[in-house]
Amino acid sequence: MDQFQVQFVSFARLVMLAMVPYVLASQGTMLGGRTGLFSVSQEGIMLVGASVGFLGAYLYDSILVGALLAMFVGGLFGLALAYFTTTLKMNQFVIGLSLFFIGLGLSTLLPKIVIGVTLQPPLIPTLPNVPIPGLSQIPILGDIFFNQNVLVYFAILLSIFLYYLLYKTSIGLELRSIGENPKAADSLGVNVFLMRYGTAIVGAMLMGLAGAYLPMVYAGTFTEGMAQGRGWIAIALTFFGGWSPHLIFLGALFFAGVEILALRVQVGGFGVPYQFLLMLPYIATILVMIFASRWVRAPAFLGQNYDREKRTLA
Amino acid sequence: MSEQTTELGHSLKTLAETLIPYIVAVVAAFVVVGIFLAALGFNVLQAYATILFTSFRTPFGFIQTLQKYVPLLLQALAFTVPLTAGKFNIGGEGQLIVGAIGAAAVGIVFAGLPLPLLLPLVILAGIVCGGFWAAIPAWLLYQFGINEILTTVMMNFVSFSLIDYVATEIWRDPAAGHPTTVPIGAGGELPLLVARPPLNSGILLALFVAVLVYVYVNRTPGGYELVATGANARASRVFGINVRTMFLLSLIAGGALAGLSGAIEVAGVHHRLIEGLQSNFLLLGIIIGLIARGNLLAVPFVAFFIAVLEVGASALQRTMMIPVEIAFIVEALILLFVLLSDVVRRR
Repeated sequence: MDQFQVQFVSFARLVMLAMVPYVLASQGTMLGGRTGLFSVSQEGIMLVGASVGFLGAYLYDSILVGALLAMFVGGLFGLALAYFTTTLKMNQFVIGLSLFFIGLGLSTLLPKIVIGVTLQPPLIPTLPNVPIPGLSQIPILGDIFFNQNVLVYFAILLSIFLYYLLYKTSIGLELRSIGENPKAADSLGVNVFLMRYGTAIVGAMLMGLAGAYLPMVYAGTFTEGMAQGRGWIAIALTFFGGWSPHLIFLGALFFAGVEILALRVQVGGFGVPYQFLLMLPYIATILVMIFASRWVRAPAFLGQNYDREKRTLA
Repeated sequence: MSEQTTELGHSLKTLAETLIPYIVAVVAAFVVVGIFLAALGFNVLQAYATILFTSFRTPFGFIQTLQKYVPLLLQALAFTVPLTAGKFNIGGEGQLIVGAIGAAAVGIVFAGLPLPLLLPLVILAGIVCGGFWAAIPAWLLYQFGINEILTTVMMNFVSFSLIDYVATEIWRDPAAGHPTTVPIGAGGELPLLVARPPLNSGILLALFVAVLVYVYVNRTPGGYELVATGANARASRVFGINVRTMFLLSLIAGGALAGLSGAIEVAGVHHRLIEGLQSNFLLLGIIIGLIARGNLLAVPFVAFFIAVLEVGASALQRTMMIPVEIAFIVEALILLFVLLSDVVRRR
């Protein structure tokens, strides 16, 4: 392999690695959105997921326990969101913000209570690479796609599965119909409430896992605010991806690419102050939203609560 | 006579109806956190006393509370004013930071100017820069109809790198370990109201602005248009109000308020730009605005209560080793319970 190839492979590998939290959080957002639930607590759920994921892995010396715990706590947040908005019919945005606050507060509170303040940051093992026999031997592609940690595979398979579920099954059709017109879906016998609860909980579990990925792959420990806006970017990404699993996946690759590129240029030192490179993902998000606003459409009923007894939709 | 009595009775009843959900919410939040603390083996009553009364036990505690009150009040207004028009400004943090950068820049570059010239310039720079930072998402909303929630959040993250650049590359103070600029000129410092412990006059500025905002929104035609837009944008448009301009201006006004709080942090508290000076004021500001349900009259009172909790919580950390984040949980729970009281009332 020549120098360029080596560079390319290592860049692409890192992009695949960085794509995971974006994919998980955005697919989770998409699931809820398809039934009309619009959450803005991604950042908070990711942070609390990072926190309990780290704690679980640290206390039980098992990444699996950490990941499951993060998904469980994420699921609780999803349940709360579904209960407050679907059953109590409270404003989705305000509830989402409140849950964001609680997640944020818990994320820093829990490690302080459980572990306390230590001189050295407590470390957990990072997620190991699991090469897939045979496939990982393919030149270039093998290294990029088939010699990664399990959550990279999971993110890819999840996106394929969600695409299949949404567009090729009757459950997917029902899901999509709720986000467009819950009244019509309800009259056809779709269980709107069950679907909303289900997508909210599963979606939030994915967000929790997205958070747990950060200490397990990036840092080996939990640091305050370590999601660094990824939860908010995930919302933008979901809009930009038109609430479709396959486009969201491509969008996640784009944002991961920007993130890694900013890091690379920073290390390479091209005379640009590194602070301006750190701005790139956020500026890219804003620019993408400008372009995306022209051609994407969101589910028609997004962000609204469905009341069976009301005659009109809005 | 009897008419007056019934009127008085009526307004008392309304006041009670407004206050009771708040009291219930506060009590409920304290109970939940109390159970949590008791389970961890802390002395719950001592914790309650510390968090509620630290502000009132000593002059130092009270002045510390007032000091904290200023950015909280302004951040809450920065969130509430756009909310009046139905827009969510989640960018108060970035607007505060860029306001602080502007204030510090003027204070450093024109350090030699006397107080009557420099101080107004420093404050004005903060207001203008904060307004400018909000104007970017506001314009994107105006021009392309792009949701302001996400763009204002993104601008926060951009500002974190900007303040780091200014504090480490442009006016870095080589003696400081943490990214910090050199101090601003003495003429740019807000005069002190109390010398020891220090209380700067930023609080007068903040209260004046709070009154100004309240009067503008509730007593002028422009304010009426703002409220109408928030109540029903479609009807307002039919009525002839330019709602897009209302959205634009309300967001810029919010940014200017946040920018002012940044300028006060620089001119009143630190006398220089320090990375991290925004603390968690934005989140608390949003919580205050939501607990007050966007009511501009309630905001100053709720902000004071939250300032008391914050000062109490930092004492909690010092004396009882309870992490300061517990205050944040209490505040978020109060918000949740206040919101829940709406549901109870609806039934």
